[in-house]
Amino acid sequence: MNTPAQNAADTVLDADAADVGRVLAGDINAFEGIVRRWQGPLVNMAWRYCRDRARAEELAQEAFVRAWRGLATWRQESSFSTWLFALAANVYRNDLKRFPAVNLPIEEIAEQARAADQQLHLEERSQYEVVRRAVLALPPRYREPVVLFYFHEKDVAAASRTMGLPQGTVKARLSRARELLRRRFPGLERHRMGEEMAGKEAGA
Amino acid sequence: MTDERMDGILGAEEELVPSSGFLASVMDQVREEAAAPPPIPFPWKRAVPGFIVAAGVFGWTAMEFARRIGPAVGNVTPLPLQLSAAVVRPLEQAGWVVAAFAVSIASWLLSRRLVR
Repeated sequence: MNTPAQNAADTVLDADAADVGRVLAGDINAFEGIVRRWQGPLVNMAWRYCRDRARAEELAQEAFVRAWRGLATWRQESSFSTWLFALAANVYRNDLKRFPAVNLPIEEIAEQARAADQQLHLEERSQYEVVRRAVLALPPRYREPVVLFYFHEKDVAAASRTMGLPQGTVKARLSRARELLRRRFPGLERHRMGEEMAGKEAGA
Repeated sequence: MTDERMDGILGAEEELVPSSGFLASVMDQVREEAAAPPPIPFPWKRAVPGFIVAAGVFGWTAMEFARRIGPAVGNVTPLPLQLSAAVVRPLEQAGWVVAAFAVSIASWLLSRRLVR
């Protein structure tokens, strides 16, 4: 017996297949259903590639137009989402090759100094943003596995399908990317430990 | 920074909601593309004779070049082509034009492949 989540996924699959069939039969308006279902994921995926809202929407739009042009190439051997994410990743990757989102190498992304205690929360949020931006400064071969791994909610298999790479390669690149980030932000864990210690002392 | 900490930072992103006009904007572009006439295909049938002539001239130039430098190198047999200098000179120049044309086409094809 299927779980509700599986049933929902099957419904989406059926809806995608039906809409693709209608579009290929000449009903352009059926493409609207596809855009409606996948606009959120595609815009969010683009956002993780560039961290620029306007550009993310432009990229997602380009991905949808490419998907529309190449709809007949979806063989239905893989799920529609796998095909669509792989196509979108290709669009985003190529665009970022031409116009990088961050032009600094990771070594030049500044780690923030410790702020006063009352500013810790704000500082932490801003530090998180620095780490997220630092991902964009990673070399491309390490950047994309990180972007897609977290986009796919830490699913290596899904990330590797989107990139069209073996899982082992994705895991190795992910590990290297984490190593680079760890080296770049050694103070981040210390900040957090300091906060926890301060919290415990205040509570005692 | 531990892996758990990194997962916490990079995994906990706020969901971005596409702007209200996004769907309409995509559909407008799709409809525009659908309404546009299909791209004009390259006229291969008309171009083939030109390509054959160009390839012939190019080949002949290459052979002539090999014939001239062949004796110096010592490993290319000269071909028994007997043409007057008045004919050879323009053909040589045409050969260079064809070579440049071929290089241009190759670079255009390569750039198209890279853009895709």
